Amino acid sequence: MTGPVRVILPGLCGVGGLTFQADGFRLLFLAAAVFMWCASGTFSLEYMAHYEKRKRYQVFFWITLPAVAGVFLSADFYTAFVFFEIMSLTSYVWVAFDETPESLRAAETYLAVAVIGGLVMLMGLFLLKDLCGTLDFAQASAVAQEILAQGSGAEKRRLYEAGLLILFGFGAKAGCVPLHIWLPKAHPVAPAPASALLSGILTKAGVYGVIVLSCGLFYGQETWGQLLAVLGLATMFWGAFLAVFSINLKRTLACSSVSQIGFILTGIAMAVLLSAAGEEPGLAVRGTLLHMINHAAFKLVLFLCAGAVFMNLHRLDLNEIRGCGRGNRLLAFCFLMGALGISGVPLWSGHVSKTLLHESIVEYAALTGYFWWRGAEWLFLFTGGMTAAYMTKLFVALFVERPAQGMRSGDSSLSMKGTSKGAILVPALLILIAGLLPGVVMDRLALLGQDFFREGLGFHPAAYFSFENLKGAAISLILGAALYAGIRRFLMEDGRYVDRLPAWFDLEDLVYRPVLTTVLPGVCRAVCSVVDAYIIAVPVRIFLAVSAVSFRCLDQLADGVILAARKTTHSQRPKAAGTAGAVKAEGAPVLSAGLSQAGAARNGAERACPGMDGDRSGMDRGRSGMGGARASLGDTRRRWQKKLRWAAGRIRHVWGMIEESFSFGLILFAMGLCATIGYLLLTFFQHR
Amino acid sequence: MAAVLANSLIIAWILYAHMGDRLVLFRLFGTLTVQFRPDPMGGVFAGLIAVLWPLATLYSLSYMEKDPRKTTFFAYYVMTYGVTAGIALAGNLVTLYFFYEMLTLVTFPLVLHPMTKAAARASRKYLYYSIGGAAFAFIGLIFVLNYSAAGNTEFVPGGILSPAAAAGSEGVLLLAYVLAFFGFGVKAALFPVHGWLPSAAVAPTPVTALLHAVAVVKSGAFAILRLTYYNYGTGFLKGTWAQWTVMAAALITIVFASTTAVREIHWKRRLAYSTVSNLSYILFGAAVMTPLGLAAALCHMVAHAFMKIASFFCAGAVMHQTGKTYVYELDGLGRKMPVTFGCLTVASLSLMGIPLFAGFISKWNLAQAGLQYAASFGDGGAGSVLPLAGVAVILYSALMTGIYMLTVLVRAYFPREAGAAAGRESAGGTEDGHPVTDPDWRMLVPLVIFAAVILALGLHSAPLMELLGRIGGEAA
Repeated sequence: MTGPVRVILPGLCGVGGLTFQADGFRLLFLAAAVFMWCASGTFSLEYMAHYEKRKRYQVFFWITLPAVAGVFLSADFYTAFVFFEIMSLTSYVWVAFDETPESLRAAETYLAVAVIGGLVMLMGLFLLKDLCGTLDFAQASAVAQEILAQGSGAEKRRLYEAGLLILFGFGAKAGCVPLHIWLPKAHPVAPAPASALLSGILTKAGVYGVIVLSCGLFYGQETWGQLLAVLGLATMFWGAFLAVFSINLKRTLACSSVSQIGFILTGIAMAVLLSAAGEEPGLAVRGTLLHMINHAAFKLVLFLCAGAVFMNLHRLDLNEIRGCGRGNRLLAFCFLMGALGISGVPLWSGHVSKTLLHESIVEYAALTGYFWWRGAEWLFLFTGGMTAAYMTKLFVALFVERPAQGMRSGDSSLSMKGTSKGAILVPALLILIAGLLPGVVMDRLALLGQDFFREGLGFHPAAYFSFENLKGAAISLILGAALYAGIRRFLMEDGRYVDRLPAWFDLEDLVYRPVLTTVLPGVCRAVCSVVDAYIIAVPVRIFLAVSAVSFRCLDQLADGVILAARKTTHSQRPKAAGTAGAVKAEGAPVLSAGLSQAGAARNGAERACPGMDGDRSGMDRGRSGMGGARASLGDTRRRWQKKLRWAAGRIRHVWGMIEESFSFGLILFAMGLCATIGYLLLTFFQHR
Repeated sequence: MAAVLANSLIIAWILYAHMGDRLVLFRLFGTLTVQFRPDPMGGVFAGLIAVLWPLATLYSLSYMEKDPRKTTFFAYYVMTYGVTAGIALAGNLVTLYFFYEMLTLVTFPLVLHPMTKAAARASRKYLYYSIGGAAFAFIGLIFVLNYSAAGNTEFVPGGILSPAAAAGSEGVLLLAYVLAFFGFGVKAALFPVHGWLPSAAVAPTPVTALLHAVAVVKSGAFAILRLTYYNYGTGFLKGTWAQWTVMAAALITIVFASTTAVREIHWKRRLAYSTVSNLSYILFGAAVMTPLGLAAALCHMVAHAFMKIASFFCAGAVMHQTGKTYVYELDGLGRKMPVTFGCLTVASLSLMGIPLFAGFISKWNLAQAGLQYAASFGDGGAGSVLPLAGVAVILYSALMTGIYMLTVLVRAYFPREAGAAAGRESAGGTEDGHPVTDPDWRMLVPLVIFAAVILALGLHSAPLMELLGRIGGEAA
């Protein structure tokens, strides 16, 4: 093969342009994506024929393909991020397609995970760019390796922070626990061909990012490997656990996807760990790569089968669809291929990749000798058994058991057009062929793609059908048989499948939704309103109170002067003319004076409330009369109380008026002027 | 319309032919003049409004068609254009301040336009917030004048304070800066003086869209940028308590406004809160005080202008066609008004900061600016806390933006099943029974152009960023 082809589009999308690269691994997944799109696109023709909104579906269906292709071809984090986001948004429409409350809710979850994952990843990219100065996969890896080898502790910490944030983003899409919540929700409501793509290839785009991180930036880091191994094993087990309990066909398949992604993540972790221990991680790398491809094929077949069921019956509950496939040999064959493959039965392709993954765990366990890793190996085998158990459950329910009452059975109940049959049959046959001839098909695929993980890996063909390897598969399958017996014993009641998991047992409803919708905005809002109510409002109120009191005082002062003037110098006026009018007439010129005197802040402010004085002085008059009458009672204390209360009322009134009126702005303005001019005067005299 | 077009052409000519020239109108006293001097940064703002105004006017022609007092409206609308251009092209702080005050006065009647009680209250609020803010800005103006090297308030990249005069009175100068920041911040809707903006959403949509998403609020932000980078100079402010104060204020505003927007159910008020938070992105860029900070702030100024005007115009188009103003009324409209909601989709995704759209570019640059500045303090430096918090805040706000913009879209495109039957009935037509359709071409053309610009900026922002980077490079 010639070297990788790079395409750089500078200046596009702003920051540094887009960079694409084509090498064996990327082309392999590009081909896988195109194949899956064609298969499920063909299937959609019939599946969607009766939906009135199929045009919208088709549009978003096909524009997601270039987005996925963009992710797989990207050669830097930025490009990957751009296409990743496009992919998330366009596939949102698939999930929301039905527009039922469930599908809208599931779509909401999907979108929330995608958006939050994207944002967290973006934060990680910011940090990474800051740390490494580049987002190019190869260059960033080189810088990161350098930092990890000889950087300071703080730098290493920040690199890990960046890595974890990016891992969060890619992991969310891949369906890694605890961010797997969208898969079991979104798959049952999305159209089946879309589900096939969502779990077959879109999750792989997330895994792609995890590979770049793990085999590039953090290659050979034991801490990273252990973290990833824990995540991978947890995902693997938890997905299978949920799948065993699920009684919805597509939900089971979705949980199974989570579990299989766990296998893949474990494989990546093993690659990192083996390299950290100084070994060549060839086994883990090939296992991961092949399991990615295998899982895509299995899920394509299985979801299309589920689509065939749903297309005819519009039901997914195992109790309602049981036995619907009896007699439909083609569908049974295809489903069986997928089920046997995913369970890792020898002679089917899943066996090959699972064997490689298993071998890598065994190798690492032997290398370190920790008891812990023996446990991981058994967990791996046990999860394999669970896989076999829930696939058996599905197969038996669909194709073996007798149908529930009122349901038709046999060939007629699940009719399909020839094109749809072809779309299911071709990938099913591929699974079989690949499994029968692992040396011809699987090893070549692995050879093609493994350079992406690490260049210069050697190649040692494994004996997939040696005793050791068959023993692993056999243990798994025996465990699976035992588990299936357990399912029939404990998870069925009167011949019906029951979901023993309580309804509240849902990470999303239990934790994520309350935190996101109540706690986070609530806390932020509370903080802001405290700031608003105490830090801001208190000074404003004090300011208003002070200005109201001082206005009132000034008012009194002015009134007093005017009163005094009328009593002494201006007393020649006839009293009958009405005192209030006289005050008004005198008040106006006094107040309008000094309009241009910028220094007269209080005057300016007072001027803004014309009319106040007139009313007030009228009231003053009345009050003084009343006050005089009451004074004769001699109860000074009560009189003062009354007076104070009245004054407080007045002040509150002025307060309100200030707050309401335009004068507020003018007061502020005048105060600003005052302060400035005062300061200017000060400096002026200082310089003198 | 003709006047607006002519004005745009004049601005284009000024920017093309007279970059860096000086036009002195008159002298106040001494060396203090009222003058215009177009420079690249003013050019960005002037160019922005020169593009937006004709399109917005076209939109208003259709929107205001049935309004009895549309002549008054357009008179003030065009006047505002001139005043805003004055702000953009002002050559010193005094000139900018004059136009800034004038802007308050000419936009006041526009807010008052509906003549309802709410409008009266909103316009009064607007007036006293603005005038009060201007007073504080005035303090800053006086200080700049007093301490400048040349005794004027000229805009010179890097600042005009004379180090000799400023020595010894840094404290008071910084206080004046913070006061002026908050003073101009009134127009830029800085928390806690943002209150007028959501209230002003009662104004006719062309006003809220153009003035309260672009011209007025951006004038505030622009004035702050001028004050920070061209009068005080970043060298003087960097690392002082004043910088941390204003940066913290900007960050609090972002968090507060984007959270409030999620809770708001009146569509235009929700957009107004979104404006509040987005303006503080610009102010955050200003407060970072690095070349990239200025470039990012200007970039967001441009990007946000297009995104927000497009969102408001969509809201306006819906109001105009159906009379619906609340988010929960929008069920199923996406199918009936495809062009409008298509543009809204572009604008929303851009506001969220999804790659391919303009908003992403500016947010990316803002975050980069924050990170670079944080890194300049070395590891664990106390100064790196706020810029880093800024990056986190930007992402938090992006999440909130996602919630408050996408809920609108989801409602429009995927109506809830329960409400759909009823919704179909009522959304099927306006009160007089006409089916709901896209508005006429005068409304659609601006919308489509804005959406196209958002996409174009998102896809190919290199020339813009280069220009802005040059401005940032010389100013800081």
